[in-house]
Amino acid sequence: MSDELKIVVLIKQVPDTSSVAGVNPDGTVDRARAKRMINPFDKFALQKALELRAEHGGVIIAISMGPPPAIEVLFDAIEHGADKGFLLSDKRLAASDTLATAYALFKCIEYIKDVDIVFTGLQTTDGDTAQTGPQIAERLNYPQITYCEDLIVENGKVKASRIIDGGVQKLEAPMPILVTVANSATRLEHKQFANVYRSKELLRDEQAKKERIQLLDLDKINADPKKVGLVGSPTVVGKTWKIGEKGGSCRLFKGAAVSKEVETLVDCLSTEGRGIEEYVR
Amino acid sequence: MSECIKYDVVLVGAGPANLTLAYRLLQLAKKPIKIAIFEKGKAVGSHLLSGAVSNPRVISKLFPNWMNSDFPLQGIVQESNLSLVSARRWENLPSFATPPYFKKEGYAILNLSDLATYMVRQIKELEQGKDGAIVDVFPGFAATSIIYDGNRVIGVRVDDTGDDESDICYGNVISFGDKGFLSREIVTKFNLSNNPQIYSVGVKEVWETNESYEGKVWHTIGYPMEPGHFGGGFIYGCKNNKLAIGMVLSCAFQNPNIEPPQILQELKKHHYVQDMIRGGKLIKYGAAILPEGGYYSMPEKFAVDGAILLGDACGTLDVKRFSGVDKAMESGYQAAESVLKALEDGDFSGTALGLFQENLMNGWVGQEIRNSRYFRQAFVDYPELNKKVIPGIIDSINAGKAPWYAVMKMGIKDPFGSLELLNAKKMIENPSDKGPVVYEEDRLSVSKGFKKAEKESPVGFDHSLLYSTADVVFYANTHYEEDNNHIDELDANVCANCIKEYDAAGYKTPCVGDCTADVHQTLDNGDYRYHSMALENCVQCRTCEIVCPNSNLRVNAAMHGYGPDFSGM
Repeated sequence: MSDELKIVVLIKQVPDTSSVAGVNPDGTVDRARAKRMINPFDKFALQKALELRAEHGGVIIAISMGPPPAIEVLFDAIEHGADKGFLLSDKRLAASDTLATAYALFKCIEYIKDVDIVFTGLQTTDGDTAQTGPQIAERLNYPQITYCEDLIVENGKVKASRIIDGGVQKLEAPMPILVTVANSATRLEHKQFANVYRSKELLRDEQAKKERIQLLDLDKINADPKKVGLVGSPTVVGKTWKIGEKGGSCRLFKGAAVSKEVETLVDCLSTEGRGIEEYVR
Repeated sequence: MSECIKYDVVLVGAGPANLTLAYRLLQLAKKPIKIAIFEKGKAVGSHLLSGAVSNPRVISKLFPNWMNSDFPLQGIVQESNLSLVSARRWENLPSFATPPYFKKEGYAILNLSDLATYMVRQIKELEQGKDGAIVDVFPGFAATSIIYDGNRVIGVRVDDTGDDESDICYGNVISFGDKGFLSREIVTKFNLSNNPQIYSVGVKEVWETNESYEGKVWHTIGYPMEPGHFGGGFIYGCKNNKLAIGMVLSCAFQNPNIEPPQILQELKKHHYVQDMIRGGKLIKYGAAILPEGGYYSMPEKFAVDGAILLGDACGTLDVKRFSGVDKAMESGYQAAESVLKALEDGDFSGTALGLFQENLMNGWVGQEIRNSRYFRQAFVDYPELNKKVIPGIIDSINAGKAPWYAVMKMGIKDPFGSLELLNAKKMIENPSDKGPVVYEEDRLSVSKGFKKAEKESPVGFDHSLLYSTADVVFYANTHYEEDNNHIDELDANVCANCIKEYDAAGYKTPCVGDCTADVHQTLDNGDYRYHSMALENCVQCRTCEIVCPNSNLRVNAAMHGYGPDFSGM
């Protein structure tokens, strides 16, 4: 029993990149209109948590910070097999940058107490900074392993391999620890029908739902409102602008023999003597 | 069995028929009821595609307040055109010359995926206010096979962990509202129909245009249809400057290479359409099949022990009136009473569940489908209609003459033939009984000897508004992962032989030539050419299965929510 782990996974709800999101006049994403999804990077973190729990037992607690609809990603995590969810939602958190976000999430983890491992994704698809995870580790005063691809827990220690330039670094660290999981790690497994069914059954019971999914605000986690939101965020967005739009100008070269198609392709790439020809002819 | 997962009612497919059934069940239920809704799309609506201009008669019955609510209406038809189209001209027929079933004024312009999303929201609201009512929606979980106990349907398999207890969802009543992915098995196993279902394939693009065409709709006859090919085009003006442009093309056609997305591009070459979409941009693309056999292709019984068939699974679409959505919804509406009674009595026999069949067929659905029962057949019995008469009219329009000029000329040249045509007209408009018709399976129409007619093409069109099939599929937003394998090729040798035959005839095989998404391809391995599939492109229309001359392909429901994203279609 002693090696059972208390695992926290941080997940974020982001605008669905497969749908066309609206852009506000000031260049920020219109989140209210955008379809929402779980940050794809966080799925690798959740999978690592599920693997670790399967090996050692314990609980998986998913934490998300965001407006009330972000509760959807907690349902999602529970349908994937997480045990509990916490949603930190507070108007005062609006417009938090990574410094402020990391502070708020750090207070959440402190509130939850006695955590063995915190998993996060590498970064988010909306902010793309990859700063929040490491900042939380610093605030918690935990060791951190970033870009982690693989890990095991042995004798109360984490043995991990992380991606570095040109290879893989193997390292060992004590717990509690924060790990940001690389997107080359194991993909999140599909939801299982029976799991989804059971979580629906469970969440139907209001009491059980309250136990499984808890709402937090700044007061509850004893966080300083001055350190979050716009006032707590030193980052200033100078300007955002549209640099282009994805569009289809895809052409498949097929039908004829491959050698012939390659020639057609090269012809298409022609830049009238200014580039590619000298390399391919 | 104590651990097994079981609901009172299990719905296969979150389409308009099944969602109406669910809503109606909640409205009527006096006792606790537990309903599961399985949808193969990653979200409700992501695999739903239709025109859609629909008579709102069932919508207004279900949601009396629909006009003044957040109902996702795209517009109300203000101006309904039947258009005769040639390469050079576009004639909108005056109202007096337009058959009544082409007049759509006052109808609702819908997009089906938004309708489904709305209905699920309404269902969840109803569930909240009702003690003991449970509705669980499982998007991303496709029912992939049917579980029987002897001759009774008792469940569907919805997962593949290998443990039956976790993978099967049992139900007292399983309602199939799918486009045949599973329900075809019921029809075959219980021998419910001795007349095959026949299909059209519909392709559709949604454009954002500079001008608004909200409330205007066009249905086209003529260009770019090949003479003899049953089908036509549609353009529906929606709100927010959206324009839906589509073609509906019968799969029963000699040409082995219909290339549906490219026929749609042909329509878009026309100056009339070019003027509408110039400066606009393509938002979405999709394709779907329509069961168009009508009355005589419907199953003899709409229920078997433990299961019912609704909407497209039952073939309630009325091709003469292009009325699919409202009839599908009405089938769900009528079925609710039978299902509730069955639940109350604990009698899930086909007889008990099928009580709604009589109500449905005695009501307006049955009346209209019966009235349309020879519509499709008229074009089979009088092939001249599609091969000569319509092309003749279109030619005279192209030459700048009035449509009736051609009709008169034909009457003088071939009085006897014209009398025949009056019979065809009668079959279409005011049918007297002449017994059941028997269709030929679509795949049998395909002919390697087909000769494509020379036809005039519009000139001066803007190429940048047209898309290759590979390009347009991008706009279907398909998503698959590497563990996907939803189309079965039953026998590779059959495919290799088929390819050999079609190569010799100078055609691509029908699966390649009729694919709406560039999925099928033939590749050379050095010794012979073989069939291969780029399944990641698939929009799950099922056309390949229908046109495969050897019935060698089988399109199954893809798992894990894989497939296109038709939201907003």
